[in-house]
Amino acid sequence: MTWNGWFQILFFSGAVLAVTKPVGVYLIRVYDGSLRWLAPVERGIYRLAGIDPEEDQSWTRYAAALLVFSAVSMLVTYVALRLQGHLPLNPFQRPGVVDRQAFETAASFTTNTNWQSYAGETTMSYLSQMMQLAFHNFTSAAVGVACAVALARGIARRSGGGIGNFWVDLVRGTLYLFLPACFVLALLFVQQGTIQNFAHYVTITTVEGAKQVLAMGPVASQTAIKQLGTNGGGFFNANAAHPFENPTPWTNFLSVFAIFVVPAGLTWFYGRTVRNQRHGWALWAAMFVLFAGGVATAYWAEARGNPIHAARGVDIVASAANPGGNMEGKEVRFGIANSALYATVTTDASCGAVNSMHDSFTPLGGLVPLVNIQLGELIFGGVGSGLYGMIVMAVLTVFIAGLMVGRTPEYLGKKIQSREVRMAMLYVLIFPAVILVLTATAAVLPAGLAGRNNAGPHGLSEMLYAFSSVTGNNGSAFAGLSGGSYFYNTLLGLGTLFGRFAMMVPLLALAGFLAERRTVAESAGTFPVTTPLFVALLVGVIVIVGALTFFPALSLGPVVEHLLMQAGRVF
Amino acid sequence: MLDLLYVALTVGFFALMLGYVRGCERLGRTAGEDERP
Repeated sequence: MTWNGWFQILFFSGAVLAVTKPVGVYLIRVYDGSLRWLAPVERGIYRLAGIDPEEDQSWTRYAAALLVFSAVSMLVTYVALRLQGHLPLNPFQRPGVVDRQAFETAASFTTNTNWQSYAGETTMSYLSQMMQLAFHNFTSAAVGVACAVALARGIARRSGGGIGNFWVDLVRGTLYLFLPACFVLALLFVQQGTIQNFAHYVTITTVEGAKQVLAMGPVASQTAIKQLGTNGGGFFNANAAHPFENPTPWTNFLSVFAIFVVPAGLTWFYGRTVRNQRHGWALWAAMFVLFAGGVATAYWAEARGNPIHAARGVDIVASAANPGGNMEGKEVRFGIANSALYATVTTDASCGAVNSMHDSFTPLGGLVPLVNIQLGELIFGGVGSGLYGMIVMAVLTVFIAGLMVGRTPEYLGKKIQSREVRMAMLYVLIFPAVILVLTATAAVLPAGLAGRNNAGPHGLSEMLYAFSSVTGNNGSAFAGLSGGSYFYNTLLGLGTLFGRFAMMVPLLALAGFLAERRTVAESAGTFPVTTPLFVALLVGVIVIVGALTFFPALSLGPVVEHLLMQAGRVF
Repeated sequence: MLDLLYVALTVGFFALMLGYVRGCERLGRTAGEDERP
């Protein structure tokens, strides 16, 4: 580890802190309707789609609208990918995407996952990248934020009413938040050298005399939304390790910073919405504690390197001429600190963009992204999903605190009773159930075992990571699993769908039930949700729930692999 | 043929989720309210 590496991590943390309030203020204006500079466009969309923007929807109506929108947009994408060969903006005559990949891709992008079992530059036409995949990059991000906003409204409502209007939240989030922010970020990327064109691919001769085809395309605009919307799907197969997407240290900083911008701002938005700004900061603090623990562990593990290399005489000590540590699978341009930071941030959030290959991390370094996903990606988290995941954990925290003292728990003036806890528990239990059932299925069937590139515990980690990634709607790959088969494409596609919608429904139910409750005044027995004690308890609940659920599987994967590595065995 | 299966799988999944909405609503409404001071 170097001072320079720590400085860059601290600089990143300071930038996230600095942007939290300004972004939160902007989010308030987006979702309270006070921003009007695109009002004619907004009204036109409502009129065209027959939407009544004044309707205050119940949670069931809100959820139904969300599901119908997602179903229709997913089916349209499936058909468009299958018919890609007959559609325009396809200069390289890419054929239609095969059925299993079209299903997985449509599910994956609809759910903000962006798991890719294909190489973008050799599979997708420009039209598919820009119309189908980018459409979902924007709308799936807006859907995630809409759910968080709906939950915040449900908690803030003092005595009944709906949780807002899904269509309005979707349109305003896309129009006022993601489109303008991506426009600015794409220009910054272009200024730094990220390519943005419709040029034909370029064939060059390498220094060894071989021919190589360099892919071109509208990369900057796609990269902007993939980071800001925590989507993560790359234009290129190499994702953010590709020099045409991520050419400089500044594009690397902007990429990783953009992932946390909206999730951090949402904590401030939430505090303001529920009229308890300190609680918003308490959630931010809990997220930051977990982020700091993750990045420190990953950086330490990767900088420490592989003892087997050291035993064989490889110099793994950092010096002026040598980054030291474990550089396998990492971009030399970014080094260990920025690779550890990127891997931590992209899995804290549900982004999935990568600038290094997580499969090549040391067992403990690779454990960090895996655990981040399995904790529910609520460490700042995906846009919207991070905040609502953290709120569910806050509800469980006050419930547990209430059990300890024998009182009916309250959360921000709302009594937490059986129905709220039922919804919170559904939310918490579905996630590990889907991951563990799908991983266990793959671990016992020949079709599942055939996808592994490594044997032993590392092979289990590859499967566990894949199903954790899709169910958590992260989309990053451990890079060691061959997921291009009917078995994996179908199962991984289903994992994204269950991981998204089977959790959103009880979440919206929780919003609806809380909206119906009358607000009660705080009393001496109310558990305060703004103190360091609350932050510590919240972090403890998150870690314990995650550890109890996944520790056995992690023990058989990265933990045992680490112990065997110390004994000189690799997989 | 497989196209039909994948489309049916998609439609079936979202139909299941719409049923799940009703199920969650029922699960919430049937929950007892036991309030302590």
